[in-house]
Amino acid sequence: MTIRPISYAVLRGQVIESDLIEFGGRGGDISFLAPDPAKIVDRIPLASPRLMEDLYTLSFEDILDYLAELGTKLELKDNPYLQEALEYSYATAPTTKPIMDSFFHDMPFMFDKERIRGMVDFNIGIDHLEGWVEKAINGSKVGIRAYGARTLHIVAGNGPVLGALTVLRGAVTRGDTIVKVPSNDPFTTGAIARTMVDMAPDHPLTKHLAVAYWRGGDEAVENRIYQPHNIEKICAWGGFASVKHVTKYIQPGIELISLDPKRSASIVGGEALDSPALMQEAASRIACDFAVGNQTACAAARMVYVLCGTDDDGVERLKELGRLAYEAMLKLPEVLTTKPKRYDPSLKSQVDTLRYSPDFYTVIGGEQGEGAVIVSHTADRVDFWEFLADRTVNLIPVDTLDEVLDVIDAYTQTVGIFPESLREVVRHKGALHGGQRFVALGYAFNGPGLVGPQDGIEPMRRIVKWIISEEPLPGRVPFWEATAEQIKVVA
Amino acid sequence: MATIAPSHDTAIEREALGWMSDPYGHFDYNNTRIHTLPREEVEAVQLAAMNLRLAERRQQVQVLAKLADTQGITSLASLDDMAPLLMPHDIYKSYPVSLLAKQKFAQINSWLSRLTRHDISGVDVSDCDSIDSWLTRLRDETPLDVGASSGSSGTCSFYPKSKLDYRLSMTGMRVQLAQKFGQAPQPGDLDDKIHAIIPLYRDGHASMGAFGKYSCEVFAKGDPAYWHYAFDFKLSSDLMWLAARLRAAKARGDASQVDVPASLLARRDEWEQAQKDMPNQQLAFVNRMISELQGQRVFVMSTSNLLYAAARRGLEEGLSGVFAPNSVFMGGGGAKGVPLPDDLEEVICKFFNTDRMISAYGMTEMNSFSVQCDHDRYHVLPWVTVFLLDLDSGQPLPRHGKQTGRAAFFDMTADSCWGGLITGDLITIDWDHPCECGRSSVGIEKKINRVSEIQGGDDKISCAATPAAQAEAMDFLTGLEG
Repeated sequence: MTIRPISYAVLRGQVIESDLIEFGGRGGDISFLAPDPAKIVDRIPLASPRLMEDLYTLSFEDILDYLAELGTKLELKDNPYLQEALEYSYATAPTTKPIMDSFFHDMPFMFDKERIRGMVDFNIGIDHLEGWVEKAINGSKVGIRAYGARTLHIVAGNGPVLGALTVLRGAVTRGDTIVKVPSNDPFTTGAIARTMVDMAPDHPLTKHLAVAYWRGGDEAVENRIYQPHNIEKICAWGGFASVKHVTKYIQPGIELISLDPKRSASIVGGEALDSPALMQEAASRIACDFAVGNQTACAAARMVYVLCGTDDDGVERLKELGRLAYEAMLKLPEVLTTKPKRYDPSLKSQVDTLRYSPDFYTVIGGEQGEGAVIVSHTADRVDFWEFLADRTVNLIPVDTLDEVLDVIDAYTQTVGIFPESLREVVRHKGALHGGQRFVALGYAFNGPGLVGPQDGIEPMRRIVKWIISEEPLPGRVPFWEATAEQIKVVA
Repeated sequence: MATIAPSHDTAIEREALGWMSDPYGHFDYNNTRIHTLPREEVEAVQLAAMNLRLAERRQQVQVLAKLADTQGITSLASLDDMAPLLMPHDIYKSYPVSLLAKQKFAQINSWLSRLTRHDISGVDVSDCDSIDSWLTRLRDETPLDVGASSGSSGTCSFYPKSKLDYRLSMTGMRVQLAQKFGQAPQPGDLDDKIHAIIPLYRDGHASMGAFGKYSCEVFAKGDPAYWHYAFDFKLSSDLMWLAARLRAAKARGDASQVDVPASLLARRDEWEQAQKDMPNQQLAFVNRMISELQGQRVFVMSTSNLLYAAARRGLEEGLSGVFAPNSVFMGGGGAKGVPLPDDLEEVICKFFNTDRMISAYGMTEMNSFSVQCDHDRYHVLPWVTVFLLDLDSGQPLPRHGKQTGRAAFFDMTADSCWGGLITGDLITIDWDHPCECGRSSVGIEKKINRVSEIQGGDDKISCAATPAAQAEAMDFLTGLEG
């Protein structure tokens, strides 16, 4: 008998496991059960914004205490919910077992108090969450404060940390958080929420979390929930189609925070090819940026532009760099990267096609679906650059930096840079073109982590509501006593 | 991969050679015979032809040689053994697009030469400064008439087909459209000059431009008085490519990054004039049809949306046509991704006074068009082997039951290129269901999608999108300084 796993709905302190109906997983390789969304839809949103009040009985330190305690309970070895979720997630996740194991193993670290404190202070400012930050401006005392919002999060499934991150962000901002879990990660967030229910069923933070699965595009469900009287914001991760789909529910009263599909690219200076040692270093750095997490994250590099020139000599050295990068990828530990679970067949066909244009492309590896390095011989990225995935990177020779900047656009997230001497010019000009995050090559995934600002979209600053309070300072002349010349309404 | 050499059956091989070299002649141009061959016989001949073609073409087409060598395939024991040798359509655009921008046609030429059996190495293209001039040079000096098409990602694909390929294609159109299925061909069906009404362009390297010329040869028997096109100018492939790049740049958020070579700018006035004349030319075309061709046997062939445009224009002017009862009205083709008006068939049928508009399924990369029968299936010519490939694995789906998959074809009549092609289309075939129309040939169901539409996003500027793309490119060009 096959056991069909359950994607539990956890609604405001209650675990729902009744009225289960079946859903097919992505790719049709696993199906799971979840409570019939039609039966629970009315319990998903918060009944009234009045009910946010209880979150303001908590201090920021109280919230940190709660999260830190939750962190200790998310130790995989002690938590049967997470163990079960991990076991089932092997089948649904886009990545492989070693990578998933390491994600789950690392989860408690995300709940470390000091990490969270740093994340909140950098992104929002704790004082803005704890009270009014006031300043005298033009004869008035103006206060600004970050209030929690009722936010629906449509979470992507390319990494199981995203559910945990959403729970964290909701809690520290005193938000009311609805998580619509994705079909390729339908178990993890529910397991975290169940742990919260066991730990503190009546705690306001437990009560302000609703986790459920429904099929994206299920209009009967979405039309009920996605209404201005239920939610104030929608924070949507994901691909072009899913974000585009959500836009139809946007109306006055609902704000969309769109974590658009993003891609990342890197820039390597020509001097990186000058010595065998530098070339080896550049290759190892490149491998870390494109292969980690099997290239499922938007921060993973898809293209690497190398300022080695497009003459024969430059291209020959680039091929050597490509071979080294390919070998470096194979040497990375399996907690970081493995042979992809399934190499996209249409990508394989496109990569293979290039093998028949040896004048223009060199393809290194990729025969066994393990990932490949494609070396362009001209300054062209491959035609299918938007679909590079499963540890497939394109190295492109260029003569000038300007050619690289031309391909940085509004869809660019992370730009890796090597050597550092390029940083000033790349990050300045790159920012004008649309690049959002500039990192040292090789450190795309080895920085402050997801507790950092993520990228230029600033989701944390945007899931809160910024509220303004104004009081006249002494000496401010009221309109009813003012002369006509004293009145400057607009200024 | 282990392969077993098939046993040689000389009778079947002889048959295969006949189909390969002169398919329509081999069946006396009899459409009913062509579409009523027993399935087993067809498949046996197809397999023999595949082996003959493989042996021959691997000596001639470099990319095929490399593909077959890599796979270790020397002969095929079953139709499905062909699957690894089918080429993805992307291969026809697998050159770096910067070579086009820099007008390095000699380099693109040498890339192209690996994809055709015809030797084009002796052609000097070093002075070509545009796609149009390069492809015209090839057309003038070699057997090729390269088919160009543009994609919205800013690329341009080049399928090095030959003039013979185009002629075969058009002959197939005439054979399949002129005859009534179930009856022997009438003498006029084969030999008469027939008025070809083609609401397309006079010339061009995209199918929309090339189609007309070859219709003139095959339908009008070369008599220009029998060839009626709507737009009296050459559809420019440079303009199409510019349109493709503009769309790609717009999607990226910065259309100012599109460089326009001087050679293109120089032709701006000429194109602008042509574009400006289009409405008048279209009206003149409609008028000419009505006044000159009333009561005549006509073959009207175009994409549905251009046919619609002409018909609507006619109705707006209070005109409609009455043609001989054995006339044919064919639309369709390439409408994928472009919304068609709801009253499409109504307007076309009303203007042309016909109760049925038929359509055909085909593509630049294939000689053989599949014409729709009265039961809405596109029937595939017997010299074309259809494969339905699993979207995930790329493996052929069983040739029985009702199957939906990525369409792939092997066309044994391909003269210039390797005839094995994997398309971007998703099609359905019910292998076990004999079509009610009486044809025994394979029938493709009416509903055809682009695979990429299913998977989100499409890259092709289809034939139907051609006029709009041209207009966009012209708007951009006329907005440039200089």
